[in-house]
Amino acid sequence: MKDILKAHKILVYIFTLTIIALVYVNQQALIYQMGLSVKENYQIYSKLVDHNRILGYNVLNLKSPVSLQTRLLAKKVELNMPRKWQVVKIESSPTKIVRKDAAKRGLFASLFIIGREAEASPNINSYTPISH
Amino acid sequence: MFVQLGAAKPLSKLASDQYKTYVRLLPKRGVIYDRNLRELAVSINLNSIFLDPELVEDKESAAQKLSGVLGIDAEKILQKLNKDKRFVWLARKLDPAVERAARNLHIKGVDFIKEPQRVYPNATLASHITGFVGLDDEGLEGVELLFDDHLKGTIGWRYSIRDAKQREVPGYEYREIPPADGNDVVLTIDNVVQAIAEKELDNSFKKYNAKGANIIVMDPYTGAILALASRPTYDPNDIKAYPAEARRNRAICDFFEPGSSFKIVTATAVLEEGVVDAGDEFFCENGEFKWSSHTYHDHKPYGWLAFRDVIKYSSNIGTMKSAIKLGSSGLYRYMKRFGFGKKTGIGLPGEVTGIMRHPNQWSKLSLCSMSMGQEVAVTAIQLACAISSIANGGYFVRPNIIDRVQDRTGNVLEHFEPKKMHRVVSEDTAEKMRQILRGVVDGGTGRFAEVEGYFPAGKTGTAQKVEPNGTYSHRNFTASFIGFLPYDKPRFVVVVTMDEPRPQYYGGTVCAPVFKKVAAQLMGYYKIEPR
Repeated sequence: MKDILKAHKILVYIFTLTIIALVYVNQQALIYQMGLSVKENYQIYSKLVDHNRILGYNVLNLKSPVSLQTRLLAKKVELNMPRKWQVVKIESSPTKIVRKDAAKRGLFASLFIIGREAEASPNINSYTPISH
Repeated sequence: MFVQLGAAKPLSKLASDQYKTYVRLLPKRGVIYDRNLRELAVSINLNSIFLDPELVEDKESAAQKLSGVLGIDAEKILQKLNKDKRFVWLARKLDPAVERAARNLHIKGVDFIKEPQRVYPNATLASHITGFVGLDDEGLEGVELLFDDHLKGTIGWRYSIRDAKQREVPGYEYREIPPADGNDVVLTIDNVVQAIAEKELDNSFKKYNAKGANIIVMDPYTGAILALASRPTYDPNDIKAYPAEARRNRAICDFFEPGSSFKIVTATAVLEEGVVDAGDEFFCENGEFKWSSHTYHDHKPYGWLAFRDVIKYSSNIGTMKSAIKLGSSGLYRYMKRFGFGKKTGIGLPGEVTGIMRHPNQWSKLSLCSMSMGQEVAVTAIQLACAISSIANGGYFVRPNIIDRVQDRTGNVLEHFEPKKMHRVVSEDTAEKMRQILRGVVDGGTGRFAEVEGYFPAGKTGTAQKVEPNGTYSHRNFTASFIGFLPYDKPRFVVVVTMDEPRPQYYGGTVCAPVFKKVAAQLMGYYKIEPR
């Protein structure tokens, strides 16, 4: 009876060890497979990153002043700085205009003006080039 | 027993060599930026083709197919295929479209390997500053060479195991040291200013059929170079297509006799030493002046001229007479103070000192000749520093083209602060000189440099070149214009030089218009309103 139990125990050990070994081999195979799949994905990722960089370079190339200049010249678009007489300078603050006008009017004339006169609202802080 | 005990070590090493692999991990080379972080040099990865001739089955057919795709002679490919090697380069850093076509051939024994490729999106723009790299990504010129240690990064490596097909088995890495990507270099250059300067220089360079040309745009207070260009130029994306001559950064590597531009040194020296005042009158001998054994001439005959007009009309005789009052040692002292005869310290590779002899080596004529820019050789960058000293109120600034080095996350590792070196002249003399130089543009020899509403100041220069026999040429000239604007509160210094322009050769005719066009566009770009 004892021998049977001993043999049974050994069989259980062998069986357990076999199972563990199989699980181990299976795990290793899985690790290997996963590794390969990670590598494949990484290759796709790096390929896309490289492609992105190449496209980025193309964008930089198109944005470059040299290439813009070449394209503008090819289309015969020659941009020039406006001359001094082509620039209208607007006072930076509308209130200054009102005060200047009041000063021109004189104190006596100002007494008869109750509120602000209707006036165009200039786009302050800018000067507008006029194209001819 | 022998295998287990005696030969265990070598056999185990043999086995480990067979399944272990060492993988080099390449870092990404740093980016070169302009001052507004616009890329001037970046890296991309491209594939190269290599052959394993042993694996190629039908070599002739493979050679024919590859030749059709790569545009390489089939005979040459066949020669490579017949080599007794396991690794032969076929073509490196291929265009992605070509690479795709080559992959689609599916030829056994033809494989691909990724390699970094340095590219310059602006092509020729600022090429003399950025420089270029070699086939193995090592800096060979310009900033690429100067900052190669920062830009190249550190190679990493990984020990791993490989399978029977020599593929690395992922997940079984023994040890890995990741690569450290290169740091980025930020320049003081402004891409837009550079483009403006290069466009205008190019137009004049072609118009006047010149042998060479330079332009420098500089901030006179900090020494920051906003643009620096030389002609002829080259595209660093395709170095082989250009002669070595085109790769020379003439603004720092070439020296020349500056001619009348150098009169700013004489004029500043005599004013600072108090031997002459701006209103003092000089008799300009009606254009012919005998000194020692030599007769000097003016480009036009002048009689009596106030000193300010001597400079305004660029009278050689008037300038010489003022220099004679100062003496050799005085002129030499100021030449040194203005930074001539030594490197400016811009830091770009290949800078030269120019030629400036000690008064002990001067002849009897040297004082007169040097006062008007002969017998002395300077670089364009030295001229830019000299005129900056007048524009900024009298101190010498070291020109600076590198702003900072930073890592990939933007942390500044090294900052190159502007450096005031020493005082050249007093604020008062600098102010007097600015007014005199304003006169040069306002009705003097530099009137073609006038920019309406911005009041530029400057000095023209036209120097005869020295012939191989040692005499001054009557056919070959170096033209220059050095100036700044506005004259009372200078924002920018612009130096333009042209080597052997034809048929016109005067600095006032050839270089001053370039200054004018660049200066006008600079004012627009920086939104400086006209007065």
